[in-house]
Amino acid sequence: MPDIRIEEVRNIIRDAGGRVVGRTRLQKIAYLLSATGLDDSFRFAYKHYGPFSEELASSAKFGALFGNLDERQDQTAWGGTYSIYTVTDMEGVNQGTPRSNLATLAATADSIELELAATAVFLAHDGYDDPWDETAQRKPEKATAVRLANAKTLLTNLSQVNVPNPIPPVLLA
Amino acid sequence: MAIQRVRDPVHNLIEFDTHDELERVVWKLLQSRPFQRLRRVKQLGFSELVYPGATHTRFAHSIGVFHTARELMEIVRKKTDDQGSREKIALAAAMVHDVGHGPFSHAFETVGKRLGLKLADHEVMSDELIRNGEIAEILNTDIMAGFASNVANMIKKEGKITLHNSVVSSQFDADRLDYMQRDRLMTGSEHAAIDLTWLLANLDIGEVTTGVDDTAVGSVPTFVIGPKAIQAAESYVLGLFQLYPTIYFHKTTRGAEKLFAEILVQLVKLVGDAAEEKTGLPSKHPLIKFAKEPESLDTALALDDTVVWGALQLLCEADDPILSQFSARLLNRKLFKCYDIRAEITHRFDPHNSMDLQNIEKIEKCCASVVVKLQEWQKNQGGVVPRIITDEAERKPYKAGGGSNGHTEQINVRTDGGELIDIRQRSEIVKSLSIYRLTRAYYDDSDADALQVIKNIVEGEIA
Repeated sequence: MPDIRIEEVRNIIRDAGGRVVGRTRLQKIAYLLSATGLDDSFRFAYKHYGPFSEELASSAKFGALFGNLDERQDQTAWGGTYSIYTVTDMEGVNQGTPRSNLATLAATADSIELELAATAVFLAHDGYDDPWDETAQRKPEKATAVRLANAKTLLTNLSQVNVPNPIPPVLLA
Repeated sequence: MAIQRVRDPVHNLIEFDTHDELERVVWKLLQSRPFQRLRRVKQLGFSELVYPGATHTRFAHSIGVFHTARELMEIVRKKTDDQGSREKIALAAAMVHDVGHGPFSHAFETVGKRLGLKLADHEVMSDELIRNGEIAEILNTDIMAGFASNVANMIKKEGKITLHNSVVSSQFDADRLDYMQRDRLMTGSEHAAIDLTWLLANLDIGEVTTGVDDTAVGSVPTFVIGPKAIQAAESYVLGLFQLYPTIYFHKTTRGAEKLFAEILVQLVKLVGDAAEEKTGLPSKHPLIKFAKEPESLDTALALDDTVVWGALQLLCEADDPILSQFSARLLNRKLFKCYDIRAEITHRFDPHNSMDLQNIEKIEKCCASVVVKLQEWQKNQGGVVPRIITDEAERKPYKAGGGSNGHTEQINVRTDGGELIDIRQRSEIVKSLSIYRLTRAYYDDSDADALQVIKNIVEGEIA
């Protein structure tokens, strides 16, 4: 069993406003918190759907099993399924902290654009000179001009949050 | 050179026509160091401890995958006009997809995850080997500049998705079609048969939608099956599912993997702590070199099953008790005993296997709690050698609705009316399959206290 950190998953969801729609969103929010130095609970590796943490996936699964967080699965209009994570106990959440500002902003973003943004951040940290170009090459179906522009704007907005490890300037609009 | 021939236990005669550019290159790849290493990496790792015939290698599997990919490509050719360079990329990708597997593949990956060793992940290692070194040189020189990257990208599912990607990764990809037949044959298992000829004869092409979470992205082409192959597809789903409890998740195989993982983790830690002399291995041993330089491709390439089996004899003499005790166990097949936690809990909560939802939830919670408690107990033990090792895994026979990946993860059937539907809508058998899960604890059979601890914790959680 990988390291299970249910409370850490709960904290991420709480900081994101108590509700996160989609496993991809949860992963990418957690990754952005990690990449900016606001969370160090989970290790991320690159997969074809962008940065991914197996420990986070397992922790969320066990959290739902033990009843520490609520996971509801729904059918999407496009044919797949998606999860909605909620944490009702919001006591102790400090609104306005860098963590909650960043997580909340990321949670409201379009999930495809959030995936593109998180991927670009990962690739920037991995040493790519032009992470956006690399992102577009890796994900041509997702990386339309409009989505890439929105993903850049998203990172620019996220960069307004005061964090220990700022988002690399090369990624900002 | 003209036609190069290989006799294969699954496909019989496999030919490489060296007048053909791609086949000549593939034959050349087979002679390269990364591929020759695969002769020394068994496809099923420790499964031969249970199935003595299962000594087939990743080398043989890779050739089989290439052969199967060629057959699938015939279907692609018949069904589409797109016969450009993507075809060559897909065939090369099928050939090299497994080149990064380490010794005892999946157990080695577990070690990598525990210690954060990137090259222990076969996907990372394969990617590195394809993009750099001998394989990249052959692909880029003999075919065209940038070809190696194209191959690596297709394996990683990056870049434009065309039907050719389905040959490399899909519900009917060449990898799965080969290993299902090969693993069945070489283990001697008589179940899990698939009707490959009929499946291939009924493969068709369809467009399926993709998405991220609740948002649609677009559509991609993939293999679908015609209505006459529903029974063959049922057998295929069922066959794949049966391989897990009987072969891949066999308790003895997993028990050996657990000991191997403990040995390797301890060895890397000792080397990291400058206590190399406690390992019993010489400083130039490939395992010591890997522990010192886990990021080095050349060092990782020196690892294979024979290196590990050879090291065990020396590790038996190690000063470190984990290395000496577990190596002797592995070498002589004196493995830890398996306690089936899930079987006990299932029997207690649901003795008549009603599969009632409430019971299932109770069982899942109880199994998870037991594992957490056993791991806590083990952590609090003062001794160096683990006394209880837990194991968990699961395999979904078929994802309802394709799961979060949607239609690309499901078997799509083209109806007589031309619509694409999930096979679950046509097959009560597939629809009724449930997830196979295992929850086990391994212990030294001479350690009666450890067994009692397992029993007590299981009883405590059931109560």
